Amino acid sequence: METYIFYILAGAILIFALLSVTTRRVLRAAVYLLFALGSTAGIYFMVEFLFLAAVQLLVYVGGVVVLIIFSILLTSQINDRLEQPEWLKVMATMLLVVVGAGLSLFVIREYDFNISETAMTAPTVSDIGLKLLSYGPGGYVLPFEVISILLLAAMIGAIVIAKRMKEND
Amino acid sequence: MSWSDFFLMQQELALILLALVLLVVEISLDTENKHKIIPVANFLFIPILVIGFLNTSTGSLFGDMYITDPTRILMKNILNVGVFLVFLQVSNWLKTQANNRNRISEFYLLIISSLIGVNYLISAGNFLMFYLSLELTSIPIAALAAYEQYKHKSAEAGIKMILSSAFSSGILLFGLSLLYAGTGTLNYGAMAIASVDLIQSMGFIFFFSGLAFKISIVPFHLWTADVYEGAPVAVTSYLSVISKGVAVFVLAIVLITLFGEIQGLWQEVIYVTAILTMTIGNLFAIRQKNIKRFLAFSSIAQAGFILLGLVGGSNFGTTAVLYFVLIYIFSNLAAFGVVSVIQNASDKENIYDYNGLYKTNPRLSLVMMLALFSLAGIPPVAGFFGKFFLFAAAAEAGMYVLLLIAVLNAIISLYYYLLVVKAMFINSNDQPVPKIESDFFARAGLILCTAGIIITGFISWIYEYMLNNSFGI
Repeated sequence: METYIFYILAGAILIFALLSVTTRRVLRAAVYLLFALGSTAGIYFMVEFLFLAAVQLLVYVGGVVVLIIFSILLTSQINDRLEQPEWLKVMATMLLVVVGAGLSLFVIREYDFNISETAMTAPTVSDIGLKLLSYGPGGYVLPFEVISILLLAAMIGAIVIAKRMKEND
Repeated sequence: MSWSDFFLMQQELALILLALVLLVVEISLDTENKHKIIPVANFLFIPILVIGFLNTSTGSLFGDMYITDPTRILMKNILNVGVFLVFLQVSNWLKTQANNRNRISEFYLLIISSLIGVNYLISAGNFLMFYLSLELTSIPIAALAAYEQYKHKSAEAGIKMILSSAFSSGILLFGLSLLYAGTGTLNYGAMAIASVDLIQSMGFIFFFSGLAFKISIVPFHLWTADVYEGAPVAVTSYLSVISKGVAVFVLAIVLITLFGEIQGLWQEVIYVTAILTMTIGNLFAIRQKNIKRFLAFSSIAQAGFILLGLVGGSNFGTTAVLYFVLIYIFSNLAAFGVVSVIQNASDKENIYDYNGLYKTNPRLSLVMMLALFSLAGIPPVAGFFGKFFLFAAAAEAGMYVLLLIAVLNAIISLYYYLLVVKAMFINSNDQPVPKIESDFFARAGLILCTAGIIITGFISWIYEYMLNNSFGI
């Protein structure tokens, strides 16, 4: 049963991802992306990483895609269609995708993974919180702080791009 | 973990402190006086340079997330000096352009955030830190590339840079996930890549491609010329020396400490890309009319020469890379400094605009000539010694064919660097660039660069110090 659900979810991710890059309407692409990200959350639920699944739903499905849709609605004409790509480019891209996917699949299938002896338990939210602020071995407080600097820098960057001179200057 | 352990992170903490101080200063300045942040930032940066030389101990923090040793501190010092020179060159442009006036502090803050990323990237002991600091180095710079957003080309440079850096991060992350799948850890120390496994080789190739985007190694160089041309000169010079330099340094660290066992694989990869990068960078540089595009392709070719030092993986080769990057920072920043002064004064950026520059601005032309000689590797300027050691490293590895191609490329590069020198000194021009009086900071920056170009080659203890602190397989 689980196997079937996995294949259904994986198939959904693949199809929606493909649709979102091939459709010629921007808004549809955003909606297909929504479904692809939602199905990914499904996979996380299946392996019982509930926190990750919740974050995926809240941040990507609930936040990022909604932002994308807002910005599409605010900036572009939704009825516009992107121009048809040249068939040579389409063929080249398809060739690249098929070869790349084939190579990756081959490499991953060939590899003899070490299967861990201990049973996998999904971390709880409190585990994640403690790890995030622990400074010992296996702690993540330094990356956590670096991310805060990154976010500060990204906000300043957004201000730099958006700020305009006053008209009367 | 005690308080004194934090001193291991001296440079990063000092830079974060500087960023916070500048934020507070920015708030306290009113709109008319925003330009007063320029001397504040420039002078407060000097203690940061000094701090880097105070403590050169070895150690690791946060469960090996952060590693430091004299070599890494040396790398950070080299790049911090480079950023200081960029700061000196940028002040006049920030002050005089009306459109920049209310965004001066943001410029400094973004460069410093990116520099914090650079420092953490060198000290990363874990691929999570590696990835985060890599993003921290490139995202602020993408915003800065679009700094002159009222210009079409600058906005285009910003979007091109953010898209290509997102794409390269994606490739790099895929490589990292394959490496993680093979080893089950992200920690440098625990990730012993011993055998040439299929999955780890593929992981390495993707990882290398991701970094190659940042160094702009052929065939991952396509974004370089457009971004360099569109971005403001100061951002271009930062991109061409600091972003490139840090990517070269971490490539050296990772190749030798992590992938040392699979040297046979990466040697071939670097061998091929070095030849491609030198040759294609050179051939395209000959055709350029715009001085910024010209310097972009010249910097691609220089990246190819840098790879010569990495190909052997020896202690000597790594020293040559460290030494060359220091000299490259001085030479390239001198060239970009002159370009920046001229563009700021006359808004000219084509090579034929430099015709007859010597008649009106003899000192600027002299600095530019020294910089180009150094880039081309003509003795007695430092660039010659830098290239010489890189070539010697390739010879030490026994790669004579590669060496031959590199020497041929050095000759080609001599041709196009001399074209610019000829334009400045020999070609005549009815409307040459008028005489320019540059301000204190720009002058100081150019003098420091020139001193670096002339002196670095002769002071042997710089090289000795690098050799003693270098690392190899």
